Amino acid sequence: MADRKVLVVDDEIHIVHVVAIKLRNNGFEVITAANGSEAYELVCQEKPDIIVTDCQMPIMTGLELVERVRQNDEFKEIPVILLTARSFAIEDGQKEALQITECLSKPFSPKELLRSIEDILHREAVVHES
Amino acid sequence: MKSVNKLYVVVTGIVIGSLLLVSVAELINSGIGVGARRAGQMQNWVFVGLVCRVIWAVGVILLGWYWLKLAGGITFIARSLKNNEPDKIKQGANAVTEELVRAINQQFETCRHENFAMDKQLKEMQIQLHLSQRQKRNTEAIIYSIRDAVIVVDEFDKLLMANEAAAKLFGFDFSNCQHRPIDELIGWETNEFSDLVRHSRQSKARHTKREIDFPDGDSPKTFDCIVSCVYDEREQICGVVAILHDITHEKEVSQMKNDFVSHVSHELKTPLASITAYSEMLADGEAGDEETRKEFYSVIQTQAQRLNRLIEDILNISRIESGLIKVDKKPVSLTILIEEQLQMIKSYAEEKNIEVVGQKPIVFDQVYVDRDMISQVVVNLLSNAVKYTPSGGSVEIRTEVDESGGIARVSMTDTGVGIPADEVEHVFDKFYRVSSNKKQAKGTGLGLNLVKQIVEKVHEGRVFVTSQVGAGSTFGFELPLATGQTVEAV
Repeated sequence: MADRKVLVVDDEIHIVHVVAIKLRNNGFEVITAANGSEAYELVCQEKPDIIVTDCQMPIMTGLELVERVRQNDEFKEIPVILLTARSFAIEDGQKEALQITECLSKPFSPKELLRSIEDILHREAVVHES
Repeated sequence: MKSVNKLYVVVTGIVIGSLLLVSVAELINSGIGVGARRAGQMQNWVFVGLVCRVIWAVGVILLGWYWLKLAGGITFIARSLKNNEPDKIKQGANAVTEELVRAINQQFETCRHENFAMDKQLKEMQIQLHLSQRQKRNTEAIIYSIRDAVIVVDEFDKLLMANEAAAKLFGFDFSNCQHRPIDELIGWETNEFSDLVRHSRQSKARHTKREIDFPDGDSPKTFDCIVSCVYDEREQICGVVAILHDITHEKEVSQMKNDFVSHVSHELKTPLASITAYSEMLADGEAGDEETRKEFYSVIQTQAQRLNRLIEDILNISRIESGLIKVDKKPVSLTILIEEQLQMIKSYAEEKNIEVVGQKPIVFDQVYVDRDMISQVVVNLLSNAVKYTPSGGSVEIRTEVDESGGIARVSMTDTGVGIPADEVEHVFDKFYRVSSNKKQAKGTGLGLNLVKQIVEKVHEGRVFVTSQVGAGSTFGFELPLATGQTVEAV
């Protein structure tokens, strides 16, 4: 369990902080970034098991980050959970095109986020084993 | 008068009779009746001949006089007719021509009546024509005065009528284009609008409606097009009327409303997300120690305050825009007001190691404003200046008075990051945030819009900004000076 690495990306420092605490309390390794550009560098360096990213951020948005990650063969399988505070943040078909695993709208429950991360990683593990 | 003419008939008879008698008498005298030559009889026949000659001579004179009268009367009538003076004919009538004059007059009367009837008919037709022309002009004036583009084509797709808006939209000159095929004028074969007209005609639909985008330079315009078929008395389509209503602005307003709702939703949900997450963590006992719990409570408190400020800003902007805000304008000393706000921002500036230089020069004039609102303007501009100025920088406040213009001008110059030239004009827009500065500090994009609303909408002043990337920005505002109001005690 301790080797599962989660990249949390949000320009709201309080959100990053609370999510990190929740995940660390539940045995995850957490790395954080404040925008898509910083996050991509961390993806390259750390190769996280899953990415939790906010949608609207300065410098590089969450969608731009996912797009860039999907263009790289090495990381294109990494599951992504998108956090969004906008009602129409994602256009029709964008979720499928960018292979976004799940969307959670703000305000969200840290428990719910944890459950989603565990479910996704469990599914991934089953797929790899089979 | 008929008796006069009869008299002349009798006279003519007598003349002819007397002529016959004279002839008989002449024959007798010349010896046809030699056997009857007796003195008494001879004398009788001579006398008869004499009498007959007298009668004949008188008759000839009378006839001559009659014919002279007749010829004179006819000549007069002919001249009167020639000179178009029918009333004179009566004056020229005599016993001989009276019957003729009467007949001519009757004919004249008949002609006059017919002429009068024709005149009346002509006038009625002229009135009808005038009314039709006026109706046409009115219809044209109505169509021309319509702001929407209106195009009328006949059943052969030829232009019958188009107003100025239509001519401008499709780029033709109506005065040269009447009765020209519409496809020559608006690209009938390719234009989406022409497709709509054709579809409407083919489907025989009374009304067809569609939204169509028209290219107009860099900013395409959207029109709500309503096409109606015109039917004749045989229920055959004899033309098509198209009305094109420009809904570009409505669409923009609708888009702005959607954007506003979207922005508000994002801005409200962000602090709410923190409050929800931290309170859930506290409730679930995930804050392990007292220090962490205190930190969580503090985050909840600051995020709740942020939410409250945001709601207040949104409500204030909304109240100002709708004119529902209560404004309490009084003469206020700008110097005192700015000094108060400087004290409020001092600790924040010291925290960031930024020097705030006070008012130069000090202005004693007063402005006629709502104190709380202008305090909000000053604190928003000051906190922005400090927020976007790196540590070690400075913010300078300058206050000037233009006595002749009746205005006070306040400007705040920072040594901050500055704003790119193409973004400067948007900084006062609602929810607008300079893209390159978003990472510098948090913000809702409402602070400067509120400044603009308060200064320009409530106080009829003016906001201004100049900036240079890397060198800093100057934000400021102008307000009207208090004139004739009670001076506030300093």
